[in-house]
Amino acid sequence: MKRAGKILGVFGLLVATCVATSALTPYFLTAYNIENLLRRTSLFGVISIGAAFVIIVGGIDLSIGSVVALVGCLLPWLLVEHGVPIWFAVPGVLLLGLLLGLCHGLLVQRVRLQPFIVTLCGLLIYRGMARGVTGDQTVGFQNGFKGLRSLVKTRFEVPGLDGFAIPSTLLILVAIATLAVIFLRFTVWGRHLLATGRNASAARHGGVRTDRYVVLAYVICAGLAGFGGMLFILDVGSAQPADFGNFYELFAIAAAVLGGCSLRGGEGSVIGVIIGAALMQVLQNAITLIDWIPDNIQYAVIGAVIIAGAISDEGFRRLLLRRRTGTP
Amino acid sequence: MTNPLHLAAPMLASLILIGCGDSDPGAATSPQAGTVASPRLAYVTNGVADFWTIAKAGADAAGVDQGAEVDVLMPTGGVTDQKRMLEDLVTRQVDGIAVSPIDPGNQVDVIDAAAARTPVITHDSDAPGSARRCYIGMDNYDAGRMCGRLVKEALPDGGEIFIFVGRIEQDNARRRRQGVIDELLDRDADPERFDEPGGPLAGSKYTVLGTLTDQFDRAKAKANVEDVLSRHPDVDGMVGLFAYNPPLILEALDGAGKTGAVEVIAFDEDEETLQGIIDGSVAGTIVQNPYMYGYKSIEVLSKIARGEDPGIPEDGMIAIPARTIRAADVEAFWADLREKTGKE
Repeated sequence: MKRAGKILGVFGLLVATCVATSALTPYFLTAYNIENLLRRTSLFGVISIGAAFVIIVGGIDLSIGSVVALVGCLLPWLLVEHGVPIWFAVPGVLLLGLLLGLCHGLLVQRVRLQPFIVTLCGLLIYRGMARGVTGDQTVGFQNGFKGLRSLVKTRFEVPGLDGFAIPSTLLILVAIATLAVIFLRFTVWGRHLLATGRNASAARHGGVRTDRYVVLAYVICAGLAGFGGMLFILDVGSAQPADFGNFYELFAIAAAVLGGCSLRGGEGSVIGVIIGAALMQVLQNAITLIDWIPDNIQYAVIGAVIIAGAISDEGFRRLLLRRRTGTP
Repeated sequence: MTNPLHLAAPMLASLILIGCGDSDPGAATSPQAGTVASPRLAYVTNGVADFWTIAKAGADAAGVDQGAEVDVLMPTGGVTDQKRMLEDLVTRQVDGIAVSPIDPGNQVDVIDAAAARTPVITHDSDAPGSARRCYIGMDNYDAGRMCGRLVKEALPDGGEIFIFVGRIEQDNARRRRQGVIDELLDRDADPERFDEPGGPLAGSKYTVLGTLTDQFDRAKAKANVEDVLSRHPDVDGMVGLFAYNPPLILEALDGAGKTGAVEVIAFDEDEETLQGIIDGSVAGTIVQNPYMYGYKSIEVLSKIARGEDPGIPEDGMIAIPARTIRAADVEAFWADLREKTGKE
């Protein structure tokens, strides 16, 4: 009930933003723009779902942007600079993401370090590694690897809708989201993961191996960050290791929180997170498309909308609580 | 597990980043500038980019020629990071610093503080009014006007253009953009003029629809181009003022199936830009000479450190002019570039 309310809240905000934007500019509801928005939402949605898993178990991952940079830069670096075959490079960089997540999880769970510290150091280390390995050189596919890049560049034309096509990234997001929803809602592991975040000691006493679920959440998060990094570099085509993926962890965390994940853990909805990611992209798009909003205040607008969402969410929660307890 | 500090992450991260300085208090006391046989010199850039890798090659080459020890530093954390580097270099008592100030208007005190202890020159982007000995680079306003002329060549019958740039608060970006605008609007030369980004600027033949910045986020830079294609489907030309902008314009045009339909006018020498000129998808590009920025900076600083005449003109500007690269000269230019950067 509460979860549904949260999703409705952020969904309402998304719809309101879309309606307002389309009223203010005729260019918003064009096939080309919608397709762009779907693609961007899909890319950020992938890393946001990862962030949600960690937040659900009551942790935080600040290294997402740096994992995006490391994996995103290593892929073209291996393929173009060193001629490593695709079938080796792609699984290799994805495995690297998973391994980094395993390190985070073990450091948090076994060594008992705070997730904030572990992933903050990750943020610094992976950025430094990306820059060191590539020697600060911009890396890119140099118009090659069209086959691999078609993973994110393929468009599926929709019959009857002139000019509109579904980007392949959306299908990737749908696949990942479906797996995540099935895992969280329909498997015992998912329920144990939620229970771990809600109250770790209670879950432990209830026989849940909470340590494993915490590690799993970090593995999923960094794994998806690495996968997202690969999608980003395939989409953009080139990356400068010093700034690629900068602040993306904050976009991911913001999308997860907007989508109903509580930073206290135990709560979260995959659909909500995707809507949260979409909201962030629509806001940025709206600011560019509407002439009278200066482009340089976009962070202020995004921040204001997120805080408005948080306030309305809190208000909604209190309203529910009052109804339930019967107090006026 | 309840940790309200989570939200302070970016703040703490930036504090730690700033704090991780490479100070070297153990360095031996350096002799006074003006008497050093093999000076220790520093070359500070305004960020990390291939452009600076080429400049580094020039600085290193000059270091060998002049018998100087050259340290090239590339700040990643913006103005604060660059300030820290300058302060640490003064602490290390280097014999000269060449810096490309990120925000010259607000960095005069930082440059003056460093210049009080060691010779400082600016390169690539100047800091007028500071105590720097000279500026080595091109006039970005003039280069902007060259870029404007390239737009006129590509669109002889006029048209609507849009400008993309990483940051507009940088002096070089600002002047470059103003040069493009003033050339297209057939205005008199006035490098100090500044049109706020925003509403369209219409001239008799050309209209500059607007300018978008991306703060070096490539995904955002590409999204900007896509959004402009949404908002202005009939745009005739796109100008990318920082090295990575033109390739991302090409990416976005390719995605929209508009390669060739929109004229792309570039700045700098990214490989995809050069390939675009060969393929015909880019009209041309204005290139600086970063190799010479690096070389000349170290040469001048070495001479100052040894007490020789560095040959600084009256106006304090050592000009390294920009060049226009079109389809006819792109191959030769690229071959020369590869040689200097040691690629292939």
